[in-house]
Amino acid sequence: MNWEPLTLTFQLALVVTLILLLVATPVAFWLSHTKSRFKPIIETLVSMPLVLPPTVIGFYFLIAFSPNSGLGSWLNAVFGLKLVFSFTGLVIASVIYSLPFMVHPLQSGLSSISKSITEASYVMGKSKWQTLFKIQLPQIKPAILTGIVLSFAHTVGEFGVVLMIGGNIPGRTKVASIAIYDEVEALNYDAANYYSLILFAITFSILLVVYLVNGNLLKGIIK
Amino acid sequence: MIQIDLNKKLQAAEGEMLLKLKIDIEKGEFVTLYGASGVGKTSTLRMISGLLNPDAGKIIVNDEVWFDQSKKINLTPQKRKVGYVFQDYALFPQMTVLENLQFAQTKKYGAKAITSLIELMELGQLQNRKPETLSGGQKQRVALARALVQQPEILLLDEPLAALDTTIRYKLQEYLKQIHSEFKLTTILISHDVSEIVKLADRVICLEDGKIINQGTPEHVFINQKLSGKFKFTGEVLKVSNEELISIVTVRIHTEVVKVVVQPEEAQNLDVGDKVLVVSKAFNPLLYKLRAR
Amino acid sequence: MNNFEGFIKTVHVNGNLSIVDIDVTSDILMKAIVIDTPETASYLKSNAKVSILFKETEVIIGLGDQSGISLQNKIPAIITHLEIGNLLCKLDLKSDAGIFTAIISAAAAVALDLKVEDEVIAMIKLNEVMLRSL
Repeated sequence: MNWEPLTLTFQLALVVTLILLLVATPVAFWLSHTKSRFKPIIETLVSMPLVLPPTVIGFYFLIAFSPNSGLGSWLNAVFGLKLVFSFTGLVIASVIYSLPFMVHPLQSGLSSISKSITEASYVMGKSKWQTLFKIQLPQIKPAILTGIVLSFAHTVGEFGVVLMIGGNIPGRTKVASIAIYDEVEALNYDAANYYSLILFAITFSILLVVYLVNGNLLKGIIK
Repeated sequence: MIQIDLNKKLQAAEGEMLLKLKIDIEKGEFVTLYGASGVGKTSTLRMISGLLNPDAGKIIVNDEVWFDQSKKINLTPQKRKVGYVFQDYALFPQMTVLENLQFAQTKKYGAKAITSLIELMELGQLQNRKPETLSGGQKQRVALARALVQQPEILLLDEPLAALDTTIRYKLQEYLKQIHSEFKLTTILISHDVSEIVKLADRVICLEDGKIINQGTPEHVFINQKLSGKFKFTGEVLKVSNEELISIVTVRIHTEVVKVVVQPEEAQNLDVGDKVLVVSKAFNPLLYKLRAR
Repeated sequence: MNNFEGFIKTVHVNGNLSIVDIDVTSDILMKAIVIDTPETASYLKSNAKVSILFKETEVIIGLGDQSGISLQNKIPAIITHLEIGNLLCKLDLKSDAGIFTAIISAAAAVALDLKVEDEVIAMIKLNEVMLRSL
């Protein structure tokens, strides 16, 4: 039994979740505070991965980052980055793909904080960042946990995007979901079953722990 | 001296409303904004604190320009020295009472100010409790203390006592009165309660549709006739009962309840909840000295 | 509340107290004592127009000449309407100063045998009279 696809999966999910925390927090903050005309557009873009078939996203990534495209060749020339069929490319695509699962809980958490609490902090001379880190984020710990778990789980479970942009390179882009597909194709049902069972057990335990810790808090978000 | 000159288009319940205010406030003055809801009282406080931007006008506080549309000056709320007590108290739920106060602390106004505020507002017993475990009156005391930690130049109070019952309200009015004079504050209070205004304010500014319709001392504004009677209280009608040829009106004055005999024709104009002035000549009441038994 | 209007004739001041004489008509002079002086209440000056307020229950009703009595606010009046209850009696009165109302005890009304059209003297103690500047 080859553990590599499993470790790769969790490596990917971990890196993606960490990056999402950093990226989604400012996006969610902006969305929950702005009165800009562009808010609906940004909100739509963030939510697109929820409805688009993952293959569509994967396909456009593939086109955009392929060494033959303008962007792909520029990235390669300037930064030496090859995003197609590489772990880095997987991470970037997964971040985009799981963005709504981090942004939405954070945004709804931040929006639920009474406006006067934020304003009280401003009036006390505290900057927006101080207020975000000392007042707002500590109040939405359950939402942050929800975002982390959902993004992690969603990344573990992704298939289409990975297949399109990552391909099937052992040790670099062959994650568990691809490996299962592979084994089924090769009629190795036993191996497919091992991978599936382990994925099932691990994700089940993660979600269970979160539900136990968070009580009913996740219910409203995972329908 | 605080000069406020504000113009702002507001969305009111009945469409757009133009708020147009010009108020000069002396240092140390206690001013009340009075008027129905939706006339622009809260918006005024928000513009003074920088939480809402006026369309035009000026705000100058002790010669420092906080806002001037023509010169494109607009200090952020962080830079304006105001203390703001919100209607819903706005205490930080994840922090204890003490931590709430400490959050407002800056290098300039250190721990000493907090210690004395805790003492003044009698928060010693509560300082390690979280806001959710406090009663309305206790939360209000914390919010008030927190607003004072930075020793603001202006204290803005948005109906701070509206949600509290009478006895606690009365006590908090005493606190307000005390801190206003002790900290030499300039205070702007939004209130609907006539007896509260008469008790606290030096000046009341009546707003209607975003404009000042009347202002002056509370006595002048609410009592507007100069009655010579010296035994005067504002109260609230609790009950009107008609007796033979006369009517008896029960009136709550602060925490006490009194009864006044009036003519039935006069009683017809009174409804429960009406604010009234109870007035008599100083010659009529008797005084009994209270002695401990 | 009963309400007459008049013009201040003179203000007698002593310490913090003033007794104010008010001309209600050329014949009716009313007096009020107030804890105010022209310094503390600017309306206390000759010819200032004031309302004279007093409660219905503070009116004393007398018949005939009332010269032997300490009350100085005496208003000759005619009863226009009379309503006697179990305890109280309400008198509507008409005078040169205006119409007004008195509430007295029903027993007193019976004892004095008051009837509509009777001429009476209505009296109010000067410390029961309140002034309002107009």
